[in-house]
Amino acid sequence: MAEEEWEPKILAFCCNWCSYAGADAAGLERRQIPPTVRVIRVMCSGRIDPAFVLMGFLEGADAVLVTGCHIGDCHYVDANYKTRNRYEFLKEFVEELGLEPERLHLKWISASEGPIFADMVREVTEKVKKLGPSPLRRTWKS
Amino acid sequence: MQSKCHLAWATDEEIRNKGANGGFVTATLVSALETNFIDLALVVKKKSVYEGILVLTSDPEEVKASAGSLHGVPINLAQSVLEYAADKRVGLPTKPCDARGIIELVKRKQINLENVYLIGLNCGGTLHPLRMREMAMAADCFGIDPDSVQREEITGGKLFLEYNEEGEEKEQGIKIDELERQGRGRRDACKSCITKIPIMADLACGNWGVPPGEKKTFVEVLTEKGAAILNNALTSGAIAVEDAPLEGIELRKKIEASMQKLAERWKGALDPLIDLSPSERFAFYKEELQRCIHCGACREVCPVCACEEDAKCLGLNEESDAYAVSMYNLIRIVHLMDSCIHCGQCEEVCPVDIPLTLIQRRFSERMQRHLEYTPGMDVTQTPPLNETKLRWSAEVE
Repeated sequence: MAEEEWEPKILAFCCNWCSYAGADAAGLERRQIPPTVRVIRVMCSGRIDPAFVLMGFLEGADAVLVTGCHIGDCHYVDANYKTRNRYEFLKEFVEELGLEPERLHLKWISASEGPIFADMVREVTEKVKKLGPSPLRRTWKS
Repeated sequence: MQSKCHLAWATDEEIRNKGANGGFVTATLVSALETNFIDLALVVKKKSVYEGILVLTSDPEEVKASAGSLHGVPINLAQSVLEYAADKRVGLPTKPCDARGIIELVKRKQINLENVYLIGLNCGGTLHPLRMREMAMAADCFGIDPDSVQREEITGGKLFLEYNEEGEEKEQGIKIDELERQGRGRRDACKSCITKIPIMADLACGNWGVPPGEKKTFVEVLTEKGAAILNNALTSGAIAVEDAPLEGIELRKKIEASMQKLAERWKGALDPLIDLSPSERFAFYKEELQRCIHCGACREVCPVCACEEDAKCLGLNEESDAYAVSMYNLIRIVHLMDSCIHCGQCEEVCPVDIPLTLIQRRFSERMQRHLEYTPGMDVTQTPPLNETKLRWSAEVE
């Protein structure tokens, strides 16, 4: 049997009110989404601690997507401002660590923007396929 | 008391002679304790040149016994204030990094700044006690018995060791520059530190700008609290004060600027990652962080950490991740990116010698430049990690 092509694992954090509904809408519209994405629903993108993203990388995610409501649309008034702030920390961290910046994305997706979610997953999958597995996944010193 | 800069000295001859330069700091603390201006003083008492004991005391005699400089005991006092004296009025001599650590803890609502009197000391850098022993012992350096050293002093860019040889008092001095060219000298964190004058403390004291030969301390009053403790010592007659000469003020500025310039040069010289590609950098970080055995010592001594046992870096870490890059390493880096003050305590205690000074500096300087934020300088600036408002123009749509 021919060796299977390597498929990246992409972790997507979706907020309950916008981007999770957006991902749902993509399914309802029968848009093709690569099976590489694993969605974790959180009540708000402000709930996404930088630690969650780091843990995702350690557990073997090849890319992490942070998604939430558009700025100003947050169900909890201003929590996604905090997301944006923390994302800057993560971005600088990933760049300094030497990980490819293409492995971390932030995108605001509203409940009606299913196509945007689908396009984003497709795009990131393409990019990460070229990059190969993430070097940050958990490995022990031999 | 018009000008902000003074020359001051202890009126008590004994304190004046024992203090590093004029005994101002000791006299101020002693008189503040005697007049009940503060409840406690936190000082480092000298045991030997390489060893000091942290003393929290209300006894002025103990404070007097701690007079003099100790470059070989590079401890940070911020966590000690939090642990032992968070609710008392406490006065303490602080290096710039002590003061910055305390300011960061004040921001995190751990210490009440009203209660803490920060008597800042100008700091050209400290030495690791083990490195100092090596310097004393090495034949191409001082070449003496390290245990015979009675006193050390850094003046005019030279490290002086006073020691006892066959019953005779002797003194030797070697230029710090020369020591550092041999790979010896100050700690890495101190070499590349640019905060030489503690402008975030209440008073900034030191011998820069004092006319040569005079046993006086150059004091800059920086806050109202600083003016209060100085006035208290003045009215009780413990110190004498005169206005600082203009050329002294200029000279002090010049010394600070030249040390900062030197520090900037060291920053580049001490950074092996400066020309590496991202993947080479990753390999370096991975190799170094994999050695971590999760003893938690770096977190324990970190002057800005305030999470205690609920810390995420411990809670989310897996014990089985020893000898792997772990959540402990990653979370500590991210949490310190906005608030690391580059004091180098973490590297000092690391049992597996991970170059944490370098690693934390690489990450945090990058972020702090981006945020245009310097931690430990201004109590009114809150740590940016959990802020809602952005400090930069948003790039994401």
